[in-house]
Amino acid sequence: MDGAVLYLADPPQSSQDRSNGGIMMEQGSNGTVIRLRALSKHFGAHTVLDAIDLDVRPGEVLAIIGPSGSGKSTLLRCINYLERPDGGTITIGPTTIDASMPVERAELSKLRRRVGMVFQSFNLFPHMTVLRNVSIAQERVLGRSRAEAEERAMQLLSRVGLADKAGQHPGRCSGGQQQRIAIARALALDPEVMLFDEPTSALDPELGLEVLAVMRELADSGMTMIVVTHEMGFAENVSDTVMMMADGDIVEKGSSNQVMRQPQQERTKRFLRAVHDR
Amino acid sequence: MLPAYEELVAWLPELLAGLTISLQVAALSLLFGMPLGLLLALGVIARSRILKTVSLVLVEIGRGAPALVLLQFIYFGLPATGLTLGSFTAAVVALAWNTGAYTSEIIRASLQSIPRGQRDAAEAIGLTGVDELRYVLLPQALRVALPPLLGFSILIFQGTSLCFTIALPELVSRAYEIGSGTFRYFPVLLAAGCLYAAVSVPAAILVGHVEKRAGRYAER
Ligand SMILES: Nc1ncnc2c1ncn2[C@@H]1O[C@H](COP(=O)(O)OP(=O)(O)OP(=O)(O)O)[C@@H](O)[C@H]1O
Ligand SMILES: [Mg+2]
Repeated sequence: MDGAVLYLADPPQSSQDRSNGGIMMEQGSNGTVIRLRALSKHFGAHTVLDAIDLDVRPGEVLAIIGPSGSGKSTLLRCINYLERPDGGTITIGPTTIDASMPVERAELSKLRRRVGMVFQSFNLFPHMTVLRNVSIAQERVLGRSRAEAEERAMQLLSRVGLADKAGQHPGRCSGGQQQRIAIARALALDPEVMLFDEPTSALDPELGLEVLAVMRELADSGMTMIVVTHEMGFAENVSDTVMMMADGDIVEKGSSNQVMRQPQQERTKRFLRAVHDR
Repeated sequence: MLPAYEELVAWLPELLAGLTISLQVAALSLLFGMPLGLLLALGVIARSRILKTVSLVLVEIGRGAPALVLLQFIYFGLPATGLTLGSFTAAVVALAWNTGAYTSEIIRASLQSIPRGQRDAAEAIGLTGVDELRYVLLPQALRVALPPLLGFSILIFQGTSLCFTIALPELVSRAYEIGSGTFRYFPVLLAAGCLYAAVSVPAAILVGHVEKRAGRYAER
């Protein structure tokens, strides 16, 4: 893989997003790529996210761990509004969305192009070729020409080691290959941050490794990443910070060394012990 | 009981003219009815209350009322409101409505069969709602819907026989006309039936093939 294409994120396009009506406000980024304040989400009477505050620095790799049902996926999905939060604010780069106000889909599109997302179940578009999967958003969202979009898509596919699959449909690719294509698809918008929701959980350990290798390289290239994971190795060795969640709350957050080796909270100790005993 | 060879030769031009009209009515009903079905499907799942209600009413009447009643209503009932349609136009309007109502349900069900993750992914890469439908959901949904849509098309073709009740000179009307002139009702209806089958049976075989292929994506 060629070192020259390793740098994947373009610089933030802060000067272009000034005319956004009422809900998106210009803000200094103050050294954070993502800033969440009092982000809340309820499903009926069930509080799934309880006023979450979170800052993520440029280049930071944050691993989120915690038991099933603790709200990890919901947190990621709220960040790019796949799930509508009930309250709080989301700031990504220079733009802030206030969850208590109505938001237009066009505004969301602006938020979402700054955020790449990778799902546990890949969610590639099965009726499109691999190349089209990676080029479509560049054409429709960024307005790039077909030729430009495909050239960039080919770069990204070689970046994840799958240039030879460009003309095939995703159904013919292994799970690990599909997830790497999904990473390329998310990177195609030159996002400022990448969200991963258990990207290797649906994969055999061996196929998971090839995905983890791509993610590790991405981290080394300076990409800001939030990774929900059950891979304790990734949390310990690749991420800079680890955040433990339980019942919609942040139990503790700190450097990966500290949280993984010397957790402060009883809840974290119990969780890590349970994971290690398996 | 079977038609004699000379009879067949004598009837055939008349019957084929009727078959042509049946095919025309079916083709036009499908041509207008399927896009209507797509619009109604989108209307029914739309967020707008008005759009949803209007679509639901059109779908429920179109499906709830037998095609025969729709035909009679549009041909005999509408003139009372000042709108008089010829039997050909009335037939196309009624059957297109019927087609729209049924195909909207087929298309809606296919749209809803697309896994949630496809919407998530389309939204996460910033596609607008229209692009999400156009590039991600509809291409997949229509592939799922294709076999039932084709199957429904055969039913509509056969349904055009109801149009003899509004004096449209389609296949069954012509057969009856010949029957009333010759009192050879059974042989001429048998001949007409064979003509329906000559279209429907190959079409059904084709649908079977499409069904087998549906869901499999082209592999290069
Ligand atoms: N659409 C929904 N409707 C109702 N409840 C939901 C919905 N989505 C999630 N929940 C609930 O919210 C809680 C948090 O779910 P979430 O998927 O965020 O957990 P998680 O930490 O990602 O768990 P896992 O490790 O199993 O993926 C769970 O109790 C779940 O049942
Ligand atoms: Mg989850």
